[in-house]
Amino acid sequence: MFEIKHTLCPSCSVGCGINVILDNEEIVGTFPYKRHPVNEGKNCLNGRLSAENVTDRHPFDLKALNDAVNKLKSGSNEKTTVIFSGNNSNEDLEAIKSLCESNGFNILAYADNLKGFDSVASYEDIENASNIFVIGNILYENPLVGRRIVRAKNNGAKIYVNDNLENTPTSNIADEFTSVSVKEFIENNNIDEESVIIFNKVDSFEDLNLIESTNSNLLPVYSKSNTKGALNLVEAMSKEDAIELLNNTEILLIFNDDTVNEIDFDFKSISQIVVFSPSENDTTEIADIVIPVKSWLEYDGSFTNCEGLTQKFSSLCESDYMSITDIIEKINEGLE
Amino acid sequence: MSYILAKSKDNAILEAGECGGAVTSIFKYLLDAGIVDGVLALHPEEDIYDGVPTFVTDSEDLISTAGSYHCAPTMVGDIITKYFSDKKIAVAVKPCDIRSIEELIKRHKIQRENIYTIGLNCGGTVSPMTGRKMIELFYDINPDDVVSEEIDKGQFIVELADGSEKGVKIHDLEKQGYGRRDNCQRCDVKIPRKANIACGNWGAEDGWTFIEINDEKGQELIDGAKSAGVLETKNPSKQSVEARSKVENIMIKMSKKVQESKFDDAEDMDAWKRCIGCYACRDICPICWCHENCELNKSYFKDELNIPPEPISFQGVRLSHMSFSCVDCGQCDDVCPMDIPISLIFDKLQKKYYNRTGYIAGVSDDIKPPLYSPDKIEL
Ligand SMILES: Cc1cc2nc3c(=O)[nH]c(=O)nc-3n(C[C@H](O)[C@H](O)[C@H](O)COP(=O)(O)OP(=O)(O)OC[C@H]3O[C@@H](n4cnc5c(N)ncnc54)[C@H](O)[C@@H]3O)c2cc1C
Ligand code: SF4
Ligand code: SF4
Ligand code: SF4
Ligand code: SF4
Repeated sequence: MFEIKHTLCPSCSVGCGINVILDNEEIVGTFPYKRHPVNEGKNCLNGRLSAENVTDRHPFDLKALNDAVNKLKSGSNEKTTVIFSGNNSNEDLEAIKSLCESNGFNILAYADNLKGFDSVASYEDIENASNIFVIGNILYENPLVGRRIVRAKNNGAKIYVNDNLENTPTSNIADEFTSVSVKEFIENNNIDEESVIIFNKVDSFEDLNLIESTNSNLLPVYSKSNTKGALNLVEAMSKEDAIELLNNTEILLIFNDDTVNEIDFDFKSISQIVVFSPSENDTTEIADIVIPVKSWLEYDGSFTNCEGLTQKFSSLCESDYMSITDIIEKINEGLE
Repeated sequence: MSYILAKSKDNAILEAGECGGAVTSIFKYLLDAGIVDGVLALHPEEDIYDGVPTFVTDSEDLISTAGSYHCAPTMVGDIITKYFSDKKIAVAVKPCDIRSIEELIKRHKIQRENIYTIGLNCGGTVSPMTGRKMIELFYDINPDDVVSEEIDKGQFIVELADGSEKGVKIHDLEKQGYGRRDNCQRCDVKIPRKANIACGNWGAEDGWTFIEINDEKGQELIDGAKSAGVLETKNPSKQSVEARSKVENIMIKMSKKVQESKFDDAEDMDAWKRCIGCYACRDICPICWCHENCELNKSYFKDELNIPPEPISFQGVRLSHMSFSCVDCGQCDDVCPMDIPISLIFDKLQKKYYNRTGYIAGVSDDIKPPLYSPDKIEL
């Protein structure tokens, strides 16, 4: 049976819709979701590959889960840290947060040195802005926010870009391009309250305070689909604090995240790493225990995109795996 | 070639259909008689702006596919190639759909004997979100309150649940950047004469579908549906045939005018500088079918560090491989994250090719596009 079903792209925080093609209940491709208000059927390569990237997982093994629970029981709660990743749905994150709170585990929410802001610019604000300050190669890395900048430019906006790479799609649409530190970029430009600053990377946590001090409309664009949702629940950590916490960690629980490729740390120094993952990656590779879980194609949930819009998605196919929320229920039962 | 007016003998289909529900009734006949394994049509998923291809195997489910979705710029050529090559199917096709199917048949990707093509005349499609915004702005109507839309007499008309209608001239909408997609404004194939039959409202009386029967298979469809008792037909008057042909010619003239005024813009390649090299345009193009073996995947073209890619080594390759077969479906524009008006240059080159060779992609009867043909013509 051939079917086309709606879902959300899980590959960055822009919140694009994407259609998935199922042939006899097997996912065989993607299809433009032109009715979706965020991206109107346009997806970048990462988005179009997202469904294909759900790789074969090992079968679920209850013993591995029991082993993990026993590790948690015998370990010290203060030395247990949980990675709070924006790859998870709001519902799973709620479950992860309450697991941490009821057991006194540390929560590590690292978002490329970015943090959450109470109020952010909407995509419509971008299109209506007169001056847009861009930090990073947004057109390439978050294309469907990049498109809003292109549209703003067509509406007459002036675009200032700061990035370390020249001749990128983003620098090519700039009216003014610089390659200086974030600090200099913010201080050297006349950024007022009407301006929009769009950024997906900064040099340090301090840069964020500087950006905030302009009082302009800010849009941090995160690399994960639900980082905004995650940072609505817990505070983001700077890279330095994250490393310090990892240094004091004996048991690390990683829910759906490729942490080893994000934080420069010697993860082998941690005595027990338990990874709950819908796919195999470099992090499952170094883990002591790997517990396969459902991918976003297999459960119902919601993601909050970088402009703060919460969108639901539904399970599209049957699965032999458990969701993270169900796994956490089992862990809670085991820890009682 | 002959003309008839047709309407469904099933009241529910007549009610749900756009004109006489003839298309849906013919699908019903083909399914019920076991002539096809299934029907590929559209159904509105979330609302009327969300027409999604669907494969119907039980004629009871056809009712949800009836009607015309003007804000659903879909393409079925590549879907048939990828997912239905081993099935007997019937499919609703706009001119750009059938043109892509014809090109794919030439490339041995679709087998003609496996498909029944029910053509829909096409004045153009509107992108769903553009359609919604335009209804808010120019009609002062909540797009969610619209139950159906149609393009008639140069207007884009919306109908509300209480039966009231409001129309705005397409020309006025398009002057302000709304209305039909850019490629549709240039599209000069309005009646799908390569499909077995071409159905439309042009020249039709209220409650009837005007059908041009294009080939023997088309005649069999009509005869079969009639003898199965699902379709009734009558002959159109001479005036309606003439009226239809008059509108067709006006539409073609309008498109040629847009082509003339827009083709010069293709020279301005500034937009390529924001290309992110995502290949969405290539992957969606129904004519670019050799994805895995695509020349652009070869190491000498793959240059991850070079984003934006040099237009000449990226689109240049595609242009030289397939622009002569571009059917101006606009799918490449639709999916480009950077809003680059890609189809403009492909369409321009196809028209240039036509001017030299007379070859219209997906329309001309040649067995193969001239570049592929053994008897190459000197240009
Ligand atoms: C976008 C569009 C523009 C049109 N413009 C004209 C025009 O300018 N002049 C003219 O004479 N006729 C036009 N038509 C054709 C006309 O609207 C009717 O579809 C046709 O007369 C058949 O009517 P019916 O009642 O027999 O069809 P129905 O029994 O209502 O069946 C229509 C079939 O078309 C399919 N369909 C609906 N929307 C689309 C779509 N966007 N793409 C592919 N398939 C679709 C449906 O799923 C259904 O199977 C257009 C149709 C469309 C879809
Ligand atoms: S921009 Fe982000 S959300 Fe949109 S398709 Fe690309 S990866 Fe997915
Ligand atoms: S390209 Fe032509 S046939 Fe296709 S949707 Fe546009 S107007 Fe209709
Ligand atoms: S180049 Fe674009 S407009 Fe031409 S056939 Fe391919 S997708 Fe359609
Ligand atoms: S879809 Fe647009 S951005 Fe992507 S490769 Fe094609 S032209 Fe470039």
